[in-house]
Amino acid sequence: MPALSSTMTEGKIVEWLKKPGDKVERGESVLVVESDKADMDVESFNEGYLAAVLMPAGGTAPVGETIGLIVETQAEIADVQAKAPSGGAPAAAPAPVAAPAAAAPAALAAPAPAPAPVVAAPVAVAAAPAPVSNGRVVASPRAKKLASQHGVALETLRGSGPHGRIQAEDVERALGLTVAVPRVAEGAGPAAVAAAGNGDAAPAPAPAGDAFGRPGESVSFNTLQNAVNRNMLASLEVPCFRVGYTITTTKLDAFYKQVKSKGVTMTALLAKAVGVVLARHPQVNAATSPDGAAMAYPAAVNVAVAVAMEDGGLITPVLANADKTDIYSLARNWADLVSRARSKQLQPDEYSTGTFTLSNLGMFGVDRFDAILPPGTGAILAVAASRPTVVAGKDGSMRVANQMQVNLTCDHRVIYGAHAAAFLKDLAQLIETNPESLAI
Amino acid sequence: MISTTADAICFEPAGLIPFPLAWSWQQQLQQRLLADPSGPDALLLLEHQPCYTLGRGADEAFLGFDPADPPAPLFRIDRGGEVTHHCPGQLVLYPVLNLQRHGADLHWYLRELEGVVIDLLAELGLRGERIEGLTGVWLEGRKLAAIGVGARRWISQHGLALNVEADLAGFAQVVPCGIADRPVGRLLDWRPELTAAALRPRLLQCFSERFGLQLRPPTPQETLQGW
Repeated sequence: MPALSSTMTEGKIVEWLKKPGDKVERGESVLVVESDKADMDVESFNEGYLAAVLMPAGGTAPVGETIGLIVETQAEIADVQAKAPSGGAPAAAPAPVAAPAAAAPAALAAPAPAPAPVVAAPVAVAAAPAPVSNGRVVASPRAKKLASQHGVALETLRGSGPHGRIQAEDVERALGLTVAVPRVAEGAGPAAVAAAGNGDAAPAPAPAGDAFGRPGESVSFNTLQNAVNRNMLASLEVPCFRVGYTITTTKLDAFYKQVKSKGVTMTALLAKAVGVVLARHPQVNAATSPDGAAMAYPAAVNVAVAVAMEDGGLITPVLANADKTDIYSLARNWADLVSRARSKQLQPDEYSTGTFTLSNLGMFGVDRFDAILPPGTGAILAVAASRPTVVAGKDGSMRVANQMQVNLTCDHRVIYGAHAAAFLKDLAQLIETNPESLAI
Repeated sequence: MISTTADAICFEPAGLIPFPLAWSWQQQLQQRLLADPSGPDALLLLEHQPCYTLGRGADEAFLGFDPADPPAPLFRIDRGGEVTHHCPGQLVLYPVLNLQRHGADLHWYLRELEGVVIDLLAELGLRGERIEGLTGVWLEGRKLAAIGVGARRWISQHGLALNVEADLAGFAQVVPCGIADRPVGRLLDWRPELTAAALRPRLLQCFSERFGLQLRPPTPQETLQGW
């Protein structure tokens, strides 16, 4: 049962558009699901045959439940129909056909709340036995281990790897456990994982970092990624330069500890600090006008902060009037913006009205980086991690202080080196000497 | 800064439109977006000749008449929800959107459609409400706007129907949306000076703002068959 909404817990099957035994083309509608007052045609992501309908029309199933089975070849239909009980969850169906369980061949970082709706493709493909040419079974070590754990005869599998090598995925597929979960979206990014039953299968090896595709694949950019791409390419037209500064944050860190319990976040503090200093440096808050003929000075100081989206792309929710808003409200607003950004519920003015952008990778321990200037603005500040550093004083003394590097990318048509330097000097002075003033 | 200068083609056919014609227009627009998902969204605003429509999974028990002999044409269509009634004086808004560009979340889309009507009512000094589990917009316990949508590959069809100065008699012959104990209402009973014609631009404006779409008339290449 596909999730057609982040708030959908179950769906009603209005109609099966295919009957068991029918051929199903890739992308063809197989059934209609209703949730609330909305209907959606659900399509198959694989070519094959509808072998069994496990939840008849009129029935309601929780999201993620297996509601039907699609097999690759006609020959497998009878096999599945014999083994799959009709009208209920096929929990007891014997392997190797159509026993649902959790596991996926390739997993994105977190199976948890995928921001875009996912469809549990009601597809359990039974692998057809194929004779291996020279009688020798070639299988990956993981496939061998999985096969022995689950009592699958490797000889009966058709390998999808190079030269017919049997991969772990082939074993999982034979067990009927790999319900890789493509999204309804055409050209959508990653397959996410849907837990469809009792997860007694060994977890698939997950890559350490996020990736949108599996090795060997090519994955289309999604809508948001395309939008970000267009904006990044547009910024190549802008004559940018960069200015770096090292800021001592010992006092800021101490102040943060005091206000953390009141719900204030480092993002709110940095946005406030940047906002206050921008109000005194209107040139750094300005941008080249869209026609390129003028310097445009915004009426407000709106600090946008870049947020990466789990399914690709990034968005820049805006803390409006950051210079005039108190840090407690900023922190609350930020939490609200981020949660709504994740559920894709931001209104355009909430992510498109920034006059200056902050990009913070400090939480990863990054010591320096630079950022691409978002079109329509004059500058973006890349903020790296604050780390204990040995600092030499002018008098030759030495001490340990927390320091972070910031790097300002500017549109040189509007902001000159002296403007950038003066802004950074002021920002450093505020953070180094008087962070408490941010609370006022 | 994400670019949000998306535009949507706005079709506003004059007169009273037979249901099958409006449905075929929606299907044409849906086909265009299926063929080119990056194409522009579209919107139909119109009034229907009297008719009844049933959602794909709708129960005929909510009809107060013999489906073989309806008092006005009856259609079973590809949307969610139970029976509803269309008639003159009711503004019908059919957005054909690529919902991938609008959150890809059907429940959220329904809530946003409700939001369009709630925004409009607020402009008129009225407080429209949502009732959990009863999709639509309610005013003092009466249902002013009915909502039902259908989608293929996240391309939407159907939408919302707002009773402005409609004759509500046609609703008496069915159990609208399958809700027996809550009456249907119309704006005229709160704002007697209102006409559907006068409300059209304000409804479009509310839609445009909530969905971040700039409405524009169709180009010659974008005209619909049967127009």
